Amino acid sequence: MSFKLAFRNVRRSIKDYAVYFLTLTFGVCLFYVFSALDDQSAIQFLARNNNPNVEAIFVLVGVFSAFVAVVLAGLILYANQFLMKRRKRELGTYALLGMPTGKVARLLVTETLLIGLCALVSGVALGILGSWALDKLTVAMFLAAPEEIFSFNLSWKAAGKTAAYFGVIFLIVMAFTSLSVSRSKLIDLIRSGRTNEEVSRRPLAMSVALFLLGCVTLGTAYAILLTRGLLRIDLLWFIMLGLGTVGTFLIFRSLSGFLLRLTRGHKGYYKGLNMFVLRQWSGKVHTNCASNTVISILILLAIGVTACSVGLNDTITASVGNQTPYDLTVLNYGREGAYENADIPQLFRDAGLDTDACFAGVESVTVYYNDPELTGMPAAGYYAVVALSDYNRLMAGRGLPVLESVDKPLRTPNAIVNGPAADGVAVVPDDMISQLTPRRQMVNITYAGNVSKVDDLVRMTLDEAEDFTGGLEIMMNYKLDNYYDLIGAKILVLYMGLYLGLVFLLTAAAVLALQQLSQAADNAQRYELLSKLGAPRAMRRGALMRQVALAFLLPLALGTIHAFVGMKAANEVIQTMGRVDSVHSSLLTAGLLLVIYGGYFLATCLGAWRAVEEKGR
Amino acid sequence: MEPILTVENLQKTYGGKGSHTKALRGLDLRVFPGEFVGIMGPSGSGKTTLLNCISTIDVPTAGSIRVDGTDLTALKGKALSRFRRERLGFIFQDCNLLDTLTGLENIALALTIGGAAPGTVESRAREAAQLLGVEEVLDKFPYQMSGGQQQRVAAARAMVTRPALILADEPTGALDSKSTQMLLGQLAQLNRQAGATILVVTHDAFTASWCQRILFLRDGALYQELHRDGADRRTFFRQILTVMSDLGGDDSDVL
Repeated sequence: MSFKLAFRNVRRSIKDYAVYFLTLTFGVCLFYVFSALDDQSAIQFLARNNNPNVEAIFVLVGVFSAFVAVVLAGLILYANQFLMKRRKRELGTYALLGMPTGKVARLLVTETLLIGLCALVSGVALGILGSWALDKLTVAMFLAAPEEIFSFNLSWKAAGKTAAYFGVIFLIVMAFTSLSVSRSKLIDLIRSGRTNEEVSRRPLAMSVALFLLGCVTLGTAYAILLTRGLLRIDLLWFIMLGLGTVGTFLIFRSLSGFLLRLTRGHKGYYKGLNMFVLRQWSGKVHTNCASNTVISILILLAIGVTACSVGLNDTITASVGNQTPYDLTVLNYGREGAYENADIPQLFRDAGLDTDACFAGVESVTVYYNDPELTGMPAAGYYAVVALSDYNRLMAGRGLPVLESVDKPLRTPNAIVNGPAADGVAVVPDDMISQLTPRRQMVNITYAGNVSKVDDLVRMTLDEAEDFTGGLEIMMNYKLDNYYDLIGAKILVLYMGLYLGLVFLLTAAAVLALQQLSQAADNAQRYELLSKLGAPRAMRRGALMRQVALAFLLPLALGTIHAFVGMKAANEVIQTMGRVDSVHSSLLTAGLLLVIYGGYFLATCLGAWRAVEEKGR
Repeated sequence: MEPILTVENLQKTYGGKGSHTKALRGLDLRVFPGEFVGIMGPSGSGKTTLLNCISTIDVPTAGSIRVDGTDLTALKGKALSRFRRERLGFIFQDCNLLDTLTGLENIALALTIGGAAPGTVESRAREAAQLLGVEEVLDKFPYQMSGGQQQRVAAARAMVTRPALILADEPTGALDSKSTQMLLGQLAQLNRQAGATILVVTHDAFTASWCQRILFLRDGALYQELHRDGADRRTFFRQILTVMSDLGGDDSDVL
């Protein structure tokens, strides 16, 4: 009996549950996608190539997933409490009709179970799709992808892990539900519809003082962060976090009174439903100041983590693009430490490689020992120099700007070869070269045709050749090696950042949506009265939209300011690794925020309006 | 004098093909400007249906309702909302005031919805509050007021827009006797001093005794009409009780 009732209840209130259900589904989906990373073909390909980042990815996914599970468990418990509150009267009616408390609790547990199961199934289904799309995306990041690496993998391990984690979460929720039902009194359930709003009536001076105190506290936290940087984690760092949280809380606590008093003197207060909207919002923002604080911190984390990971990702991409301009660089260290020039393509031909078909371009360049007394460049920073004409020949080959002339030696503006050998080379005028000793021959090779196929041929030739160098000491620097390293690092940084950022954002938006929707019953009464007083439909809808918008925008505004300051501190850390394209990462983050936060905002508006209108008719 | 409210042959049928209930069976009534009219009748007599039709919350099956020359049955959508907020004022039994607004703001709401000039809103609201003797609760929230104060604030809100007709649905239903007396005293004063036209639907003979004229409904039709004609309230109260016991008649329904 109770199963049938539970099933009917769920089906009937499917629209009420929609936001909760969608959030659960997204949560499960994200959890699955990232748990399934180790079974993705791209990652497996990297693992086969002994990519150093793969192990780190696996470890981080494990740690983050546990963390994400805790966040989602908190969200689900919170949501469940809201749903319970909303249905107190219904539960009271069951109890009034003589249903024993145990049975009421069982009914709720069954409902939770049903919703949880549905969310789990649809979440994993969506996750499988998402995982497939992410895998495709990762493979697309490979330069000259070996076509055969992509395959569709269904990760049973990830599905099992997701089911286990969420199973435990739902068990906790069910235990919590039955506990709170068995402890509630019938009179509270029946009367739950009539609760008086406690509206604070603190004097204006108090609100202003609290508001200013909040601003000062927050400002202090910002100042500490900006002057000391992000990464000095000591006592003061935790004090900064505490100050930031307290400041945010104080601002939310006093803002309603503060704004209300400010606007009340204004003429616009008595215009249309402005007064009503402001009062609706101020009552709630006051009672919700704790959750608003948490939400704005979640938004800070979401924006910060996402933007930093995207920025770092761009930095890595740019640095490798600069650092490996050629498909292959052969470094010739000479014979027994002494310089010796060699015909590298000839060596390949001798080993049996068809260089005409495989190599599109070969550029050989010789670098010379740096003599600080002659060049004026410090020995510590510059191990070698290159002639201006050689440098310009290489740059011209790549379509990069050449140097007209060098009056005195300078650092090479662009890398002349692949890898670290390009660092610490100075360009000197050609006439200076004759006075210097040659140090090393470097040969840059560009492949013809498919990069990864030629790369395989080259490596095979080297493996099979008996004595390829004939005694010369030679090192190879392949672009593809760098790229696989790069992709590993990119996945590590970008995916982990997106994972956490998305979960934070989802949680923040879902909490706000649930808060707004749980007020629907109270709101319905108020909007019904507005309708009776003759407020037209469009006016009521506008008021509701503004009410929801205020609830969504305020934590967003404060969270964005936090994130802005936090990003400034974070950028200084990232900048030590290279240039950050902050415009790109900001745009991407803003886009993500707009889609998810905006989506939840729209869904909330629609849901709230539907609830209000149904009652109003 | 032109009547402010004219109801002609009003009919309202609920239900579909199989079973239907006739809530109103061809009702006629007129209310003139400055009148304080009561509508009484047992449960199911059609009081609430009549009020819902006049207040444009419900649509009659047949017949016409004209308020101040406007035919309500012809109004739709925006015009209907506009008519409701400009020409009618409401006082309900409960759930009357918005719990998030202060007394002053609750009164002001009726004005701001109507698009009154923001500069004049506060003074007009205070004026209305003065008429109903609720100046002292203007800065309080509804839960800080007594039931009677809440109803008087609601009355102030109903008349602040200077509507053609104020409709009150069981305004004293949730009040104790002292608050009832106070509210009705203020309504009667509003009627006398400001010339407001008031239509009260009530169960309660005591409440009805403040009116000048009472219409008794039974089974969706007019049963009897009672005029006060200068009698004092005590006498009028007795007359009402007499009609009510006739009205109860053979029915076991004692009011």
